[in-house]
Amino acid sequence: MRGTLLYIGQRLVLIAITTVLVSSIVFLLLHQIPGNAFLNETRQSEETLRAELHHYGLDLPLPQQYANWVTGVLHGNLGESLVNHGVLITPLLVRETSVSATVGFFALLVTIGLGLVLGVIAALRQNTWVDYIASSTAVIGYSVPSFVIAIFGLLLFGHYLYVWTDGTVFYQPGWGKVEQIPVPALALGLPYASYVARLTRASMLETIRTDYVRTAWAKGLKARVVVLRHALRNALIPVVTILGPLITGIITGSVVIENIFGIPGLGKEFVTSILARDYNIVIGVFTFYAALVGLANLAVDVIYPVLDPRIRY
Amino acid sequence: MTAVDGISFDVDRGEIVGIVGESGSGKTMTALSILRLIPEPGKITSGRILYGEKDVVQMSDEDIREFRGNEVAMIFQDPMTSLNPVLRVGFQVEEAMAAHSRFTRQQARDRVVPMLQRVRIPAAKDRVRDYPHQFSGGMRQRAMIAMGVSNEPSLLIADEPTTALDVTVQASIIELLRDLSRELRAAVILITHNMALVASLCNRVIVMYAGRIVEEGPTRAIFKNPQHPYTWSLLRSMPRVDETTRERLISIKGLPPDLGKMPPGCKFHPRCKFRVDRCFNEEPPLGEVDPGQLARCWVLMKNVANPEAEAQK
Repeated sequence: MRGTLLYIGQRLVLIAITTVLVSSIVFLLLHQIPGNAFLNETRQSEETLRAELHHYGLDLPLPQQYANWVTGVLHGNLGESLVNHGVLITPLLVRETSVSATVGFFALLVTIGLGLVLGVIAALRQNTWVDYIASSTAVIGYSVPSFVIAIFGLLLFGHYLYVWTDGTVFYQPGWGKVEQIPVPALALGLPYASYVARLTRASMLETIRTDYVRTAWAKGLKARVVVLRHALRNALIPVVTILGPLITGIITGSVVIENIFGIPGLGKEFVTSILARDYNIVIGVFTFYAALVGLANLAVDVIYPVLDPRIRY
Repeated sequence: MTAVDGISFDVDRGEIVGIVGESGSGKTMTALSILRLIPEPGKITSGRILYGEKDVVQMSDEDIREFRGNEVAMIFQDPMTSLNPVLRVGFQVEEAMAAHSRFTRQQARDRVVPMLQRVRIPAAKDRVRDYPHQFSGGMRQRAMIAMGVSNEPSLLIADEPTTALDVTVQASIIELLRDLSRELRAAVILITHNMALVASLCNRVIVMYAGRIVEEGPTRAIFKNPQHPYTWSLLRSMPRVDETTRERLISIKGLPPDLGKMPPGCKFHPRCKFRVDRCFNEEPPLGEVDPGQLARCWVLMKNVANPEAEAQK
């Protein structure tokens, strides 16, 4: 137990270092992009521009700017939006992260739930029509990119089924209705669910032929117990391994999905802020993403020993 | 393809019957059929397996489940892979009892430590919570045996229980099996290719070749007067400590036949040193050669004048 805590501690330190490195690289690269946040403002005099640049410290030499920024970050302050004056970034991003996390959580639920169910059923009914349907669904799901699914989702629920949904699924000003979650979550989760299904099927096919599953049958256990407790539990180990990259995929995939559905989350902010050259927000979003990916992977690694007692930290 | 054909034998209460034969001779398939555990896509196409009055082949799924591990228990060859790596050893023993109605849940729980003690696992109280990877090979096989005898079955099938173990551990496992079968008054089917083991443990021997019984009888008779050339060669292929003569060991040339390409006539004739014309196209029946001793051969060793000389040719 103490070993585990120590391990988690070490990992957290590493995540912090990675996050700082990522945001530093972004900071430096970002300033190489031509243009700045104030070019869009029309009829702007030289003086006001200079005043704005000065207000945000953008007239300082780059190393100086970087030092200021790092100091801010260490105090948990990511600065102020360049476009929307006076808007503080940290609370903004925290709010947006919670929106993204909601969609991401349900997407993950779709991924794991649907993936496991399809995979297990396909494996148990190997080479029957049930398996063929489940497996080909998985192949299709894996081949179709999530933005295509998203567009078909929009068409279906927002247009053809407009009368039934009464437009509540989308076309609503603002965010925060339960009905708005399922379609984006499905679009985001389906490709990964297919991936999990294929992996689970292969993994289950392996475990149901192992000696210990034969032992479980020989003991006279009920079929449900043999499948769930003995076969599936072992089959889950490789599935959990890919959960890390998978969560990362869902986090980054949200950039596309949130823009298609107009979800006011981190992914939407990401694109908007880059287009507006809102330096502080771009760096902030990157920092959040880096930390999220790190934490997601840590979470998976912590689940590992719970599933497989042979793994200890 | 037919792996096992026309096998017929009885096992009485308290009796230890050995089934010997080369790899691929159908020993394991015979044993697995008794519990209807033949791996897919294999199946029992015809015949009966009687346990008392009940026919295992005709049992419903629920009946066979209740039968497995309760009336008849099986111990497998490789203890390293036969225990589920992610479940505690104690739990796996408890589960075997909880699956059947012989004991209540509480009784099952209370019996785990005594069962582990009974199979002579040291410090059983502390080790119930261990996982299989914390056990040595011999200890794992003991745990498997504990699982097998936990429901006090009347038949115990041990499929090469010592093959995967160190020589030093083998003897203690065999001793344990013998003692337990006596205490439980259970019949034992011991599958092995170790003739010495058979000689020391079994009342009766069944010799299998190419999915058939080629010889069967009381251990003493088989060892003293083997009648089938295969049995005879098998016995003469091993060095014996008590042998005073300095004769050369006999080797059986060639390999057992491919299941897909069974030879006509006697299945052993391509490798047989004593064959006659009849052996090439007519398969001999399993006939009685002595009271209680059966052999499937046209020649029979008692009719060979000087087997040693002929075999060395």
